[in-house]
Amino acid sequence: MNSLARNVLERRPLSGVTVIDAHAHAGPYSLFYIPDADPAAMVRVMDRCGVALAVLSSHVGLQQDAAAGNRATARAVAEFPGRLLGYLTINPWHDPEAELAAWESDARFAGIKLHPDLHGYPLTGSRYAPVWAHASRAGVPVLCHTWYGSPYDDPAHIAEVAGRHPDVALLAGHAGGPEPGIDLSIELAARCPNVILETCGSFVTGAHIERMVGELGPDRVLFGSDFPFIDLRVSLGRTVFARLDDAERAAVLGGTAAALFGVSPASRTGAGDEQSH
Amino acid sequence: MEERVLVDATVLLGRQPQGSAGVDTPRELLAWLGRVGIAEAVTGHLASWLHDPAAGNRRLSGLLAGQPRLRACWVVLPGGTGEVGSPGEFVAAARTAGVAAVRAYPADHGWSLTAPDGARVLDALAAAGLPLFVDAEQTSWDEITACATAHPALRLLVCRPGYRVLRHIAGVLEACDNVWIETSTLATHQGLEWLAGRFGAGRLVFGTAAPLRDPAEAVTRLLLSDVDDDAVRAIGGGNLRGLLAPSGVRAA
Repeated sequence: MNSLARNVLERRPLSGVTVIDAHAHAGPYSLFYIPDADPAAMVRVMDRCGVALAVLSSHVGLQQDAAAGNRATARAVAEFPGRLLGYLTINPWHDPEAELAAWESDARFAGIKLHPDLHGYPLTGSRYAPVWAHASRAGVPVLCHTWYGSPYDDPAHIAEVAGRHPDVALLAGHAGGPEPGIDLSIELAARCPNVILETCGSFVTGAHIERMVGELGPDRVLFGSDFPFIDLRVSLGRTVFARLDDAERAAVLGGTAAALFGVSPASRTGAGDEQSH
Repeated sequence: MEERVLVDATVLLGRQPQGSAGVDTPRELLAWLGRVGIAEAVTGHLASWLHDPAAGNRRLSGLLAGQPRLRACWVVLPGGTGEVGSPGEFVAAARTAGVAAVRAYPADHGWSLTAPDGARVLDALAAAGLPLFVDAEQTSWDEITACATAHPALRLLVCRPGYRVLRHIAGVLEACDNVWIETSTLATHQGLEWLAGRFGAGRLVFGTAAPLRDPAEAVTRLLLSDVDDDAVRAIGGGNLRGLLAPSGVRAA
């Protein structure tokens, strides 16, 4: 059994590895009740689990108002510097150029978040053109929700955009969702070197992560949880118990993300104590 | 201090038609669960759900013979068609076979828990001390409340609730003392902690829903939770033991 799995079984936060959650949100969500969805409570969960850093986009930006969401994300990162980083949410209907310009030089944002399904607009559409120009110029990754069969963000949309913009790192959120989407995402990522698969959602398993790493390499797979939309520990457990070697697991849990976001793994450790609960 | 033993309430043997995960034998199942720290399980069979309840139940009991760490969970139907016998015959056979709990799939199997024939099933289960496990997607929260209220002696475990249902769960747990919630897909951020604080850890029962879900998820969710060790022992196995039919009735 690997040492991180032992930590879990002994109820201790993960230790000895830098864990970066590359897919986080913050705040309430109208469709269902989320207790303690504020950034302070999120950081407490990170401490409990040994997660050093989470990269987030606020729920309000995805659900309703991109500009309000980006302001909320910026406040959260300012409140917890070093523990939270932001994705700038771009809603194609909410003046992408103005939103990109407003936050362009703000170091609280380390990437861009797109959710074509929620915004009802295809990833391949021209309204996203400013995103690709900005991401290419600034060298920041773009995290996009993906879902098998979606008219807006099926893995095939990711592959098409990745082919058009080979210098942009595209993070495929949920790795395509249901199992056929995961299969397709792995196939397409093998042909698109700028696509990185992210592991949160209700369908990815440890066995899928093993396949992703085996077929693409650990530098093409990264841990995300979707928390607080879904509890962080669900996705974390898949990676901790997956049959990976220590170097592969460390890459998926944080190394891949550290390289993408330009943060130093050595300077970041989980803030959780080592006491058993 | 009492040892912590994780007991999985909701594991299933067999193959699923729309997914690659699944194991066919108790040996494979115990190895899979053991890798994530689970010692025992209440086990159903996907054949009982997705093909033929009566044959699946028989197949399950055959597979679990001589497996003290795996206890059977049969699938029940109403008595009208005679497929699993009358409710009285079903519970008698279940108790003779040492069945620990009973599952119902009313949505997929085309019957209703609240119809008169469904009520006779629930009455028989309650009288026999057999708990009923129902996936949330197989019924409705209104129907769960109605069943629990109409059959106060029935112990009802709602399985695979999902992460979007705390509003429903809160209403049901407030209204019904004889309903418990299984944790495999109870993936609401801090939802386990919130429910344990609001209703007590005694209302939650650990399960993984493997192979439909990776068992590492529910294990990690529980063990890295913000509840104390006593609550983890209760959720992880103690509460389930209190729900199950006694094992002493297993046939020799």
